[in-house]
Amino acid sequence: MTALASSPSLHVKAAPRSREILRIVRLHTVNPSIFFGSPLLILGAAWAVSAVIALIMLGAGSSTEDLEGMRYSWAVLSPQWYLMVVGIQAVGLTFSFALGFGATRRDFWLGTSLMFVATSAVFAALIASLVQLEIATGGWGIGMHMFNALWFGHNGWLMDFYSAFALQLLVLFLGASITTVYMRWRMRGMMVVLFSAITVLLGLVAIMTLGGHWPAVIDWFGSIGMAGIFTVLLGIALVCAAAGYLVIRRATPR
Amino acid sequence: MSTPLVRASGLTKSYGGMTAVDSVDFSLEEGRIYGLLGRNGAGKTTIMQMLTGQLFPTSGTVEIMGREPAENAEALRRMCFIAESQRYPDSFSARHVFKAARWFFENWDAEFAEQLTAEFRLPLKRPIKKLSRGQLSSVGVIVGLASRAPLTFFDEPYLGLDAVARHLFYDRLLEDYTEHPRTVVLSTHLIDEVAKLLEHVIIIDQGRILLDQDADEVRGSATTVAGPQRTVDSFIVGRSVIGREGLGGLSSVTVQGRLSQPDRVQAAELGLELAPVSLQQLVIHLTGSAPEGAANTYGNSSKEAAA
Repeated sequence: MTALASSPSLHVKAAPRSREILRIVRLHTVNPSIFFGSPLLILGAAWAVSAVIALIMLGAGSSTEDLEGMRYSWAVLSPQWYLMVVGIQAVGLTFSFALGFGATRRDFWLGTSLMFVATSAVFAALIASLVQLEIATGGWGIGMHMFNALWFGHNGWLMDFYSAFALQLLVLFLGASITTVYMRWRMRGMMVVLFSAITVLLGLVAIMTLGGHWPAVIDWFGSIGMAGIFTVLLGIALVCAAAGYLVIRRATPR
Repeated sequence: MSTPLVRASGLTKSYGGMTAVDSVDFSLEEGRIYGLLGRNGAGKTTIMQMLTGQLFPTSGTVEIMGREPAENAEALRRMCFIAESQRYPDSFSARHVFKAARWFFENWDAEFAEQLTAEFRLPLKRPIKKLSRGQLSSVGVIVGLASRAPLTFFDEPYLGLDAVARHLFYDRLLEDYTEHPRTVVLSTHLIDEVAKLLEHVIIIDQGRILLDQDADEVRGSATTVAGPQRTVDSFIVGRSVIGREGLGGLSSVTVQGRLSQPDRVQAAELGLELAPVSLQQLVIHLTGSAPEGAANTYGNSSKEAAA
């Protein structure tokens, strides 16, 4: 029998923790189309569609003032749905794969969280910058609104960055953390979470409505302002991140 | 003997009322090739998933070099396990798998992986979702071989592989194992082809270990006696029979335990034919419909015979 210790080629050395976490980030980026290519494609396609709509409207005799209506277009948020799926698949598929490659659940979640934060920051910076570009070019020369829409474009680059970052992080962590429930307790866990969420939501609505608290709630949202609302979203994202960490530690791959 | 690389004691996994693995005890030594044999659903994959920390045992313990594998980066980095039903990230192709393997397996040999990719004719850029079952198996085989992990698990590695690819796998495994000794666990229900590779055999049925023995001992441990039915019947009196077939006045009976020299002489004088039982036949006899008790005594008696 040959002892492994005597075989230098198979010597396995200890690696620092940071390396274990970073390799999960690299795993998420090994096929860059998942996190970057496809969302950019969706964003680009949404831009093209918006531009065509703007040109049609102009061709039909609309003024640039009429194009202000495009501010209510959700085109700027179009990659969010796809990124929710990215969050779901990061746990549903990549998690099983990473475990097969010898990653721990802890390092997987930390690496994935790092990936989510980085992705959100990149997209938020991109969107906030495109808002400024759209304003500077007068709506790409034709007065269209795609990025300078909804709440974007009113409060400067930093506020646009912050709101896009918070929303992006929420979408990714929501998708990923719900999937950790499935990976640990399967369908039964999903049902429990779903019905608990519905019960809590209905309970809140009942308390607010029966107690006549809605005006106070609306006032509160008004008082915390745009920054406050997105800070609440960011807070929910962090709760999802923490819950996901606790749940995934005992999750098992399919 | 040194401390075993892997030690499982009382290892159990149950799902609701179903017990997939029922209190198994075994250990794996360094630098050997193990065969984890049994029928579909015997518990082979579940055992490997617990050894690699993918599943948490319901009860009992697993130790890899004295450590629990689950959530233990030190233990996990020494292992490679691509399950037969392994899932891959959406839109991954084999190229992405092998690229990522470099970061996860310290002994990863990219050149070897390239050579194997060419030999298995695996399309590198086709999405994994679109690969055939055999091509999917070769992804796992290439990762298992090129990772050179000190403890490598192959779960049904050649499902869907053609005969050429299977033999390529045996050849490359044996070559690379000789050059870079490590511990390999092969789970399979296609036994005959792989039999000569195995140094140690663990046979599982219905979540229990039926046999855990050195492959050489197993090979000579059962014999088929063939001849006229009456002569055979007289010869096998007092022996433990694990299989019986008859055709007309002829009968072929498989008996457990090693035959002694006088036994063989007696058989020759009676005009009986003796034939060794292949590993696959043995597994069929043991796991076909054998009662659990008989299988356990089999393991014990053949150990005595070998001693």
